[in-house]
Amino acid sequence: MSLHSGSRPFLPEFRHAAPTFQRALATSRQLQAPRWRPASALDQWVERPIRPMSLRQLFFFGRTLTEDRLISSANYVRNELPTRIAHRLRDMQKLPYAVVTNPHLSYVYELYYKAFESFRKLPNVKTLEDNDAMCKIISENLKEHLSVIPRMVTGVLECHNLMSADDMDAFVNRSLRARISRRVIAEQHLALTETYNSPGHSPHPSSEHDFVGEVLLRCNAQDIVRDCGQFAQRVCRDYVQGSKVPEINIRGHVTATFPYVLSHLEYTIGELLRNSIQAVMEHYKGWDQPPPIEVLICEAPSQVVIRISDQGGGIPRDILPYLWSFNKGPRSQERLASLGQVPALAATMQELKIPGGPDTPRGSSLNQLSFRDPKLRLGMGLPMSKIYAEYWAGGLELHSLEGYGVDAFLQISKLGNQNEQLTSRASIDAV
Amino acid sequence: MPSAATISDEEISRLASLPRKPLTLADLVGHGKPPLSNDALLSSANFTLSLLPARLAHRIQKLRNLPFIVVANPNINRIYNNYLHSLSILEPFYQSKIVSMEEEVRFTEAMAELVQTHTNTIPILAQGFLECRKYITPADITRFLDQHLRARIGTRLIAEQHLALHMASAPETAEHELDMHNIGVIDTSLQPAKIIRSCEAFVGDICELKYGVRPRIDMNGSVKAMFAHIPVHLEYILTELIKNAFRATIESGNETHPIEVTFAAAPDVPLSKLDALKRLSVTDESVLDFSQEGLIEYCSSSEGLGGPLNSSAPSITIRIRDRGGGIPPEVLPNIWSYSFTTFNAEQATNANSASDGLQAITNGGNPSSIAGLGYGLPLSRAYAEYFGGSIAVQSMYGWGTDVYLSLQGIAKVV
Repeated sequence: MSLHSGSRPFLPEFRHAAPTFQRALATSRQLQAPRWRPASALDQWVERPIRPMSLRQLFFFGRTLTEDRLISSANYVRNELPTRIAHRLRDMQKLPYAVVTNPHLSYVYELYYKAFESFRKLPNVKTLEDNDAMCKIISENLKEHLSVIPRMVTGVLECHNLMSADDMDAFVNRSLRARISRRVIAEQHLALTETYNSPGHSPHPSSEHDFVGEVLLRCNAQDIVRDCGQFAQRVCRDYVQGSKVPEINIRGHVTATFPYVLSHLEYTIGELLRNSIQAVMEHYKGWDQPPPIEVLICEAPSQVVIRISDQGGGIPRDILPYLWSFNKGPRSQERLASLGQVPALAATMQELKIPGGPDTPRGSSLNQLSFRDPKLRLGMGLPMSKIYAEYWAGGLELHSLEGYGVDAFLQISKLGNQNEQLTSRASIDAV
Repeated sequence: MPSAATISDEEISRLASLPRKPLTLADLVGHGKPPLSNDALLSSANFTLSLLPARLAHRIQKLRNLPFIVVANPNINRIYNNYLHSLSILEPFYQSKIVSMEEEVRFTEAMAELVQTHTNTIPILAQGFLECRKYITPADITRFLDQHLRARIGTRLIAEQHLALHMASAPETAEHELDMHNIGVIDTSLQPAKIIRSCEAFVGDICELKYGVRPRIDMNGSVKAMFAHIPVHLEYILTELIKNAFRATIESGNETHPIEVTFAAAPDVPLSKLDALKRLSVTDESVLDFSQEGLIEYCSSSEGLGGPLNSSAPSITIRIRDRGGGIPPEVLPNIWSYSFTTFNAEQATNANSASDGLQAITNGGNPSSIAGLGYGLPLSRAYAEYFGGSIAVQSMYGWGTDVYLSLQGIAKVV
């Protein structure tokens, strides 16, 4: 299904290079209610169960890439994507009418429905050519959906009067988890296809030190913290006039490794370090040598814990209740204004790319967020990081010592054998 | 077993159904700063009398709702009878107001006896529930105890405050000391760092005796921070937390690594508010003619004081960081329960051994009682939460544990 069919009035903004968010905002306000569509196709797909994957499955499946395996992966994706999107659509359809007609949320809804329509019509993949055709469609879809997160968060902030904060947060959590899941399997398959098609590829098992698609079996905590730290320090260098960027010290079980989707880890650690650096710079304005950020890596038999301790003064108690929520309480207006300044994502990658930043094979939405101006406080970093951390059966907790600093604890399961933490419609309805 | 007390069931029901208003700090300090005048003492006595009977009646009702076989246990039964007895002692007093000083003295003596009788409630209840573990689920025990222990904190606070105010107002006391800081059991300039140092010494002594080594504590952050709080509560909590840190450190062989204690004071809780409180209290002129209005107004007004003192936000946070290897994942879910799931018969027989000094500390030197029964953490949390604070435990298995104790200064009290 072509993106550029002229018959859909609300799509004109996609004909050009992605404009700034402000312009997209103006166009989309003309949209009122999403289109009504017959429910039978959706009903069918919502009935299907979701088949979650674990990191180990993702890795070991793609480790020895033969044509058969690739085709098999293609068909798994072909079935999973529309199933997972169907569950999301049904979830959205059950939200209050006033919420779904919010311009930003209805934009997201339309986007999802379009994707559902195009995915469910994909034919059975039998040959490599079929696979290539499917991959093209998936890839376009991934690019188109890059703006979903800021849109959804903006819509949620605007609707804070229409639904309870808890219900809202639960909805956003489910949506983002599901979104991660679709992108993981889609990006994994695209990566595998790329590997298979690359010159010199032969179907022998890749080493444990390589990427298999997006999964790195041996993420080394120390390397990642160091790289993300250096990147965050660079981005924040001029954040506060007259303030020096604090050092980041890493100690503990520095050789610890675990399997992970690298881009997820880089995002989460990047957000935590960035928060710490910015807090310290604000708190120690004018100091020659602000106190360093201390990172501790602790390895236990089944998990790795990364503790990030800063002396940035702690979290003001008036925002503490809203820390993990997408509703920001007293800071909602500020956050809305900042979100309005997030440029559409494809353009940003080129505009803001700072040399030497962490390398990700594909322009992922996470990567784009990492490049944002430190003065843009979106209020999403912590709730998003928590969703990513918990997605692979880990966790994220914060302890604030008001007046002193913050300790963040990121727990990562080492085994990679836990399935994705997803919520299907069946489990929501069963409650 | 029938109770020996003379209080009737109707009376208990009547008292238990009285509306209970939440206790506030203004209530506790509202009678003034010692030495109190006779009128103020009478006011304090009557205030205490207005609160205690209903609270005791409530506890009796909750105990009665436990399964018969549990309350029939001799230990539980003993506690049940203690409550009945205490309520029957109070009955003659609460039938009418206390108007004379002789009555006040008799009342205060009755209070003292009440406090004394109920001193060992916790270890006795603990032993009783242990013996009854076949007849009641850990979840039910936890639910009962969580409520009971919190209610007990409040009841004892009311009683002990009156006792303390009375003692501090006695002519002998008033003559030779003028306490600038204390209002009954509340210390308005309590410095947590001082309590940490004394706990360090106390627990350290026992470690030296038992293990031959003595871990150190390094303090940093706002070490001089002070606030208004109840010293005995804070001592209990900090002793428990330091005991845990010391033991873990020693048993993992890391006694050379000091335990790190960090103090954080929220920026808008300045010492000047405490100074204001002190200024309101005792001046050279008003030593014997204590002015109530300023104090009450200060505690109850919300303008000009800003958020912190009247808001339910923490004002001091203490982080205790050790290298004791952390808490094993299988034990972690149980640290806040009253240890019934992890206790076994072998430990029960060993529980009476007097040799485990560390276990005994938190029971105020009564070694045969709650040794090993794991009440320390849940009880500490009850104390911390009573004034709107909290305790959080973050374990990094394979490295150590971080404990975060946040405490409110002056705030509303449950």
